[in-house]
Amino acid sequence: MATAVHLDGITKRFPGVVANDDVDLEVEHGTVHALLGENGAGKTTLMNVLYGLYEPTSGTVRLDGEPRTFDSPRDAIDAGVGMIHQHFMLVDPMTVTENVTLGSEPRKWGGLAVDRAAAREAVVELADRYGFDVDPDARIEDVSVGEQQRVEILKALYRGADTLILDEPTAVLTPQEVEELFAVLAELTAQGKTIIFITHKLGEAMRAADEVSVLRDGKKVGTVDADGTTREELAELMVGREVLLDVEREPAQTGEVVAAASDVVVEDDRGVRAVDGISFEVRAGEVFGIAGVDGNGQTELVEALTGLGVPDEGEIRFRDEDVTTASRRERIEAGMAYIPEDRQERGLVMEFGLVENGLLGSQHGPELGPNGRIDWPATRDHAEAIIDEYDVRPADADADAESLSGGNQQKFIVGREFKRDPEFVVASHPTRGVDVGSIEFIHERLLELRRQGVAVLLVSSKLEEVQGLSDRMGVVYEGEFIDVVDPEETTEEELGLLMAGERPGGGGDETGATDETDPEATPSDVTGGERA
Amino acid sequence: MSAADRLRDALDRLVEASATERILISTAALVLSVLLGAVLVLVAGRMTTCTAGEAVYYLGVGFCYDPVVVFDRLFLGALGDPLSGGWSPDGQFSVTLRETTLLLFTGLSVALAFRAGIFNIGTQGQMVVGALATAIGVLWASSFVSGTVGTVVLIPFGVLVGATFGGLYGAVPGMLKAYADANEVITTIMLNFIATGVALYLVSGVFKDPNSAANQTVPLPEFARFPAVLFGGRQDFSLVALAFGLLAIGALYYVLEHTAFGYDVRTSGVQPEAAEYGGVDAERTVVASLALSGALGGVAGAMYVMMVLGTFQTGIPSYGFDGITVSILAGNNPLGVGVAALLFGVLKSGTTVVQFATDVPPQLVGVLRGLVILFVAMPEFFRMLAKGLPGRGSRREAVATDGGAVTGGGVADDEGGEADE
Repeated sequence: MATAVHLDGITKRFPGVVANDDVDLEVEHGTVHALLGENGAGKTTLMNVLYGLYEPTSGTVRLDGEPRTFDSPRDAIDAGVGMIHQHFMLVDPMTVTENVTLGSEPRKWGGLAVDRAAAREAVVELADRYGFDVDPDARIEDVSVGEQQRVEILKALYRGADTLILDEPTAVLTPQEVEELFAVLAELTAQGKTIIFITHKLGEAMRAADEVSVLRDGKKVGTVDADGTTREELAELMVGREVLLDVEREPAQTGEVVAAASDVVVEDDRGVRAVDGISFEVRAGEVFGIAGVDGNGQTELVEALTGLGVPDEGEIRFRDEDVTTASRRERIEAGMAYIPEDRQERGLVMEFGLVENGLLGSQHGPELGPNGRIDWPATRDHAEAIIDEYDVRPADADADAESLSGGNQQKFIVGREFKRDPEFVVASHPTRGVDVGSIEFIHERLLELRRQGVAVLLVSSKLEEVQGLSDRMGVVYEGEFIDVVDPEETTEEELGLLMAGERPGGGGDETGATDETDPEATPSDVTGGERA
Repeated sequence: MSAADRLRDALDRLVEASATERILISTAALVLSVLLGAVLVLVAGRMTTCTAGEAVYYLGVGFCYDPVVVFDRLFLGALGDPLSGGWSPDGQFSVTLRETTLLLFTGLSVALAFRAGIFNIGTQGQMVVGALATAIGVLWASSFVSGTVGTVVLIPFGVLVGATFGGLYGAVPGMLKAYADANEVITTIMLNFIATGVALYLVSGVFKDPNSAANQTVPLPEFARFPAVLFGGRQDFSLVALAFGLLAIGALYYVLEHTAFGYDVRTSGVQPEAAEYGGVDAERTVVASLALSGALGGVAGAMYVMMVLGTFQTGIPSYGFDGITVSILAGNNPLGVGVAALLFGVLKSGTTVVQFATDVPPQLVGVLRGLVILFVAMPEFFRMLAKGLPGRGSRREAVATDGGAVTGGGVADDEGGEADE
């Protein structure tokens, strides 16, 4: 069989970052190839290179053995490569037919008018050929997400795509829609199309693909036959066997419950339950970790906790008070600190200097903003104290936040939040994109707070981070706790499987995961996930 | 490097320009606009016919209009000819300051909203509402007091009424934006028409002055108008009003830079997500800043009634819209608004001087004025535009690598995030 797609030594550098490092990838005609890896592993970058969005720094793209260079997606489409993005690019008020044919409609009257009948005919014919269930006359805004995705696929097929790239195609789908999608993929490959799909879910890669390539930190760490591999092998490839961060940690001296969530439900814009009934308690002096692959409801959960969002159901309590609908400001003033997931969007005002950024969240507080008036000298001292104590470089309180490196931005945020003397800290991906030295520093500070009796909620997609710092950890999958485990009694492989949605229950997993949890963690703490 | 990249670079440099650089850029733009205007005047002068006696000669070529005279009148004339002796405070300089005072308030109004990230095009409407409310309120109150006491009481009262009603009228689009997600550009434009229409209806009906053919209210008594101080008052200018204006500049500067509310406003303006994270109540900040913006517009209306007209008359000049340009010119900085309003005031009042002193057609003077504004405002305008562009700053490199393709910026978002680190 000829190789449909052959990426040869692809390297893609961004300033300061190597997104893809010498990646080889071969995909046979008529097969489904899964590109597996954690977020940030470089999967999408690699596919953007194939789709002509990025020009590789080095390396060649071959289609059917011929070297190709694409200046734009247009070239890639002409060469028969189509990409279906995670976020659909459809025009909501237009019909399925109009969307599929948009930009290359059949014409009549010498090209003056769109031949609607022919367009509809072409769409119906395409849909029939591949067994798609779509209504050519429905408006996009009226059809389900699964159908929208099929329309995206039809769009690519209509433009003559032989190779289809799907970026996280299941992220927005319900389980039934996932089944339908896999059936569609099987039909497409049966008719000779080639599919590459990007995913971070082990189960999907194994179910739908013929071959699986695993990327980690921009490098390809292996390609395996989907039938000849195990989940354990894939999990190991994906997570890697990197050294656990060695954190000195004494046993937790837990006190009373500081923060609690019960049966919290948060729906996203589409009405999908991003958080689907999560409950937990965080006690003074403990770190409660939430592990999981990004996009399984962590963001929504954290926003509901910190007051940036409102849960649709359930209750959030903080220091014995119901704060479910309390404003962000009320929560800050009550002693809740929050290291946000996105420091450049949320955590810092990028064009403000550090003095003004040190004020963020305290502008109405008694120390820096008494009586609605800002005490600038005190605010400057405050910022300088953060810079000094948290080793922010350059040590210049007047530097704009955007001029700092990611690690220093993060240290400044951590310093600002910890200096509030909080009772409860929500740390969301506190070390994402931060250099090794700063990671260690931030971890030490988190544990120091824990020693001081602060309750900490740690959310991270880095397994070793949650595992290394938490006293108890919940593994979240599709908005639910799959399980709550004792991190010291659980192996990375077991966690990897939990993160991929494998419920405990098979063989020895159960004893390892649930029975040996910390005795402090009473079962009532862990009412979240339904157990298999 | 492609043209698109160079443009992007230039925009980035503009965004990062320091305050001194920005002042230098503005000054250079002013000089350039004068030079270009001079060329236009010369060309227009060649294309017109005039007698030999009226013509001026440069390098042996005769021109009907003299650019030196035109710009001399436009700028020095507007200042009441301070260099030629016999300068009187009651001359053209008063007109300039009168215009400056009004533009100062509308400029501050727009600037405050801009700082909160809101484009208030409704300053004009807020000014109309403030003016009408002031006229009616002061007329009503003037029956209770009179004389010097009347002046001392009624002037602050009138300003307060104008501020209150302008503020309420500004709060309307604020609430629509905060609680119904209505775009403020559209609502404020529509509210401008409503203000003008309702004012016309009221002033041609219940509040109409029966002794006047025009659609206006009964004139305010003399003691209810801004008193002339130092300046003669022949040009309807009062130093007291200008003092109010300077006070407003200082107050707004203080509010923005030294209060928690100002911090909330500025943070919401540059990065709403960070403001939300920092505990800023987005809805309340939107309503409050538009209300305050409307109040400043309302004060402009009060000034117009109590200083210039002495009554409310339909057809208030477009100070509100000029305020947008003043604000952009000033980089939305309250202190800059003072300077920008003065430049604008000079141009407005200088235009009439040029028309008196030369044969240059008024349209050409309008063009010259437009050129100055265009040149001086454009760098700031592009700066604001560039700030709002996606993919600037931290994402700049990632976007640049994909050749600036529009689709690239959008779909590359997910992994563009990695490239930041």
